[in-house]
Amino acid sequence: MRKLAMIPILLLLLFMTACSGSASGNGDYPTQNIEIVAPASPGGGWDLTARSLEKVLSGQELVKQNINVVNKPGGGGEVGWKYLKSQDSHSLAVNSSLVLTNNLLGQSDLTYKDFTPIATLATEWQALAVPADSEFSTASEFLEATKADPASIKIGVGPGLGNDDHLSLVQAASEFGINPSQLNFLVYEGGGDVVTALLGGHVDAVTTSLSEVKDQHLAGKLKILAVSSEKPVKGIEDVPTWKEAGVDMVFPHWRGIMGPPDMTEEEIAYWDEKLSKMVKTDEWKKILENNDWEGFYKNSEETKAFLQEQHDLYKQLVEDSGLVN
Amino acid sequence: MDVSSFMEGLSIALEPMNIMWIIIGGFLGTVVGMLPGLGPATAVAVLIPITFSMNPISAIILMASIYYGAMYGGSRSSILLNTPGDGSAIAATFDGYPMAKNGQAGPALAISAVASFIGGIIAVVGFIFLAVPLADFALKFGPAEYFLLMLLTLSAIIALSIGKMVKGFLAMMIGLALSTVGIDTQTGVYRFTMGIPHFSDGIDFLIVIIGVYAIGEVLYNFLNIDQQKKEKKKVGKVWFSKEQWKRSRMPILRSGPIGFIVGVLPGAGGTIASMIGYTTAKQTSKNPDEFGKGAVEGLAAPESANNAASVGAMIPLLTMGIPGSGTTAVMLGALIMLGLRPGPLLFEQQPDTVWALVNSMFIGNIALIIINILLVGLLVKILDTPAKVLYPLIVMLAFIGTYTLSYSTVDFFLLLVFGLFGLMMKVMDFPIAPLVLALIVGADMEQNFRMAVLSSNGSLGIFFSSGVSIALLVLTILSLFYPLILKLVKNKNNNKTQDDEVYKSS
Amino acid sequence: MKLIKISVPAFFTLFSIIFLIASLNLPKANLGNPDAPMYFPVGISIIMLIFSVIYFIQEVKNLHVENEEIKQILSGRTPKLIGFTLLFGLIYAFIFNPLGYLISTIIYLGALLFYLNGYKKWLVNIIVTISFSFISWYAFSELLGVSLP
Repeated sequence: MRKLAMIPILLLLLFMTACSGSASGNGDYPTQNIEIVAPASPGGGWDLTARSLEKVLSGQELVKQNINVVNKPGGGGEVGWKYLKSQDSHSLAVNSSLVLTNNLLGQSDLTYKDFTPIATLATEWQALAVPADSEFSTASEFLEATKADPASIKIGVGPGLGNDDHLSLVQAASEFGINPSQLNFLVYEGGGDVVTALLGGHVDAVTTSLSEVKDQHLAGKLKILAVSSEKPVKGIEDVPTWKEAGVDMVFPHWRGIMGPPDMTEEEIAYWDEKLSKMVKTDEWKKILENNDWEGFYKNSEETKAFLQEQHDLYKQLVEDSGLVN
Repeated sequence: MDVSSFMEGLSIALEPMNIMWIIIGGFLGTVVGMLPGLGPATAVAVLIPITFSMNPISAIILMASIYYGAMYGGSRSSILLNTPGDGSAIAATFDGYPMAKNGQAGPALAISAVASFIGGIIAVVGFIFLAVPLADFALKFGPAEYFLLMLLTLSAIIALSIGKMVKGFLAMMIGLALSTVGIDTQTGVYRFTMGIPHFSDGIDFLIVIIGVYAIGEVLYNFLNIDQQKKEKKKVGKVWFSKEQWKRSRMPILRSGPIGFIVGVLPGAGGTIASMIGYTTAKQTSKNPDEFGKGAVEGLAAPESANNAASVGAMIPLLTMGIPGSGTTAVMLGALIMLGLRPGPLLFEQQPDTVWALVNSMFIGNIALIIINILLVGLLVKILDTPAKVLYPLIVMLAFIGTYTLSYSTVDFFLLLVFGLFGLMMKVMDFPIAPLVLALIVGADMEQNFRMAVLSSNGSLGIFFSSGVSIALLVLTILSLFYPLILKLVKNKNNNKTQDDEVYKSS
Repeated sequence: MKLIKISVPAFFTLFSIIFLIASLNLPKANLGNPDAPMYFPVGISIIMLIFSVIYFIQEVKNLHVENEEIKQILSGRTPKLIGFTLLFGLIYAFIFNPLGYLISTIIYLGALLFYLNGYKKWLVNIIVTISFSFISWYAFSELLGVSLP
């Protein structure tokens, strides 16, 4: 019975800490440690983005307060962003197009409007690749053949439908007049498995991040038919962009950062100042280069408009893909 | 293989700074790997920040030695406490824990360290000579072959539960059922998530391992905790006997190469390698009846296999830039951050880095066997800790280990549910390994089956279409019916000798 | 005793049936074969059901065989111990975030030790609780960089 007596005490303790925890002053933001939420496990793209931010912002002494990276994986970002929503303005979270698509696919109630846009930081480009000995040597040959018989061409994608790898090809296909819901996708666990499948000849083509296939292309193990960038990518100038291949699209796989809802003007201005400085540092540029990312900085105002525009585009793509009715 | 860059790599690996990193990494990996629920992937992930300020070569050497260290360490808690830290350490519980119970904890720890060492060395030699051809071989594995490999693993584990087949199958089916929770990979449909976003990525098998093994074991020990008090456990010697070595020698040498090849296959990894190592050892053994009751070769074989697999897993990472396991995926992320991009160009552009790593594996394995043998004396002391203090500590470690998986307290509820479930399984005499293994391979197995069928337009002929797949099918059938065949043959022989005796006596 | 023995296979049977029904009611896929997500779970639940029934029959046949361990579960303070550990585990899950790692761990570990090891060894209990909590907190959050609340 004595054990049971502890429960009220616990509840009391719980209540006390809950009250004292949320006190935060105004005035000189930030007043306490900064927390950057990576809504994924260590090792992935979001985690890399968060840790890179920590490294540069602290390393270059742009932000005086301590910065901690917190991993909250689960639900394609859902768990981490839900957590962010309940935090105060000292927490920020890394995001990408999933913050739009989770909602569009009906997998989440959260959407970009539930958060304060802070910045868009970097982008990767998407690539369409085929085996080195493939019968297709240009993107339009590939699309023509797919148009003729969509079921006969196996396309590897990972780790799930509705992501940028998938939707970038959906956009290319629908621009070309193919019904994207007819495409024959095989879904692999991740980007690496997709490339293995292509190298082993188990699929006819893959759509994935450029960084997954760039080295393989340079080594002659596979052919990249098109990249989704505006201009040809440094190092692989021989690969045409989709525009050059006759399909009018540019498809960034962007990453950015956002804050909890209702951040004040001053707080947003603080990050605009710090992040615009950060993206100019050599250390940040080095990180971009190492990861095959490209600078894609947009401040909070631009990001707000960008998200709106992306939201409309993705809405169309998700409908085209046949994933939702 | 290029001799001059090999030598250059050796000299880099032998730099005092790098040797120091190997020892530090091996030690940290062993310690972290020993904790229940913290396997190699977590060990590497949590230690990544240390590497940020290092040069890329030292960083990759450090990460690799943490990886091997965790592989060595993972089986420590399997042997001593029946609580594996990772899928690849499950097989070590089959005979390792019974050995420890029989007062053979010291020899068990020692032989597992030696087996890991030999497996590791076999694999490093294999790496040096076979990295490129094996990488090409791994590419031949399409969805059909992966499906069959996983089928082989499951049938091997079922074959182990002789005498309780029904319970074994039931446990396996529960594991498969749990593996369907989450987003369906091929179609994006949410299955059995009950509206909880946390479940959309599926149920992490590590939570089930920690729950069923660690918490389940503690609860199970509560059954007679008050009787255990006086009985002093004998720790025994810290080294194994000649007899034990003789019995383990061949199984260790056999399962090293098996583990290495399975490790090269992306996605297969240490768990499957150690299971196949274990069943091979059992099926080639003269006294298979002792397996599961503390047979020394039943511990040595999987230990050799899983360590060899961890070296094999580096091959797709380094030659193709493709992570073959959770751990190598984490390593890939960290390496990219450091500006080193593993892939087909790495061998051409930075051969010294690759060979420095390979050489560091040699040194690492030597360092690790020394570390682990020195630790044996210390570790067996854990068993001297009064049970009533030890069990609460295991419970706490299980909770922390679970928390590090996804930083969420939702998992604590799962942990407790599976703890209770584990207790029930133990009391009702269910084999636990089929449950966990089925959960580990289940989702991949389903997806690979579906991809295989999709890519052959619905025909099942794809499962018989390549040499590899036919070989895997034959092995599956053999593993299921081998015990039966063996029995038949034995009976025949017995009958014959009986006949002879009858004949003689008459 | 007999009731417990029979309730385990009954539980499996019930679980298989629920799982089968849930599998049949899975949402349809919008792309490809609409029933594709269903096949694997339905297959599993049918096999599981068959084995559950076999298991059920086996247990009914062996109902008279005594299971020592079930007796032990129900005897002495074992049921209390198991219940206590699980209950406090639940409480731990609820207080972990609001109270933070250190305080909640001290509470849970302390409670477990006092209950299991007895009040007489209070000194050992307190030393173990405090030192384990601090060492593990330091090791994980400071050395390993795991962000604990």
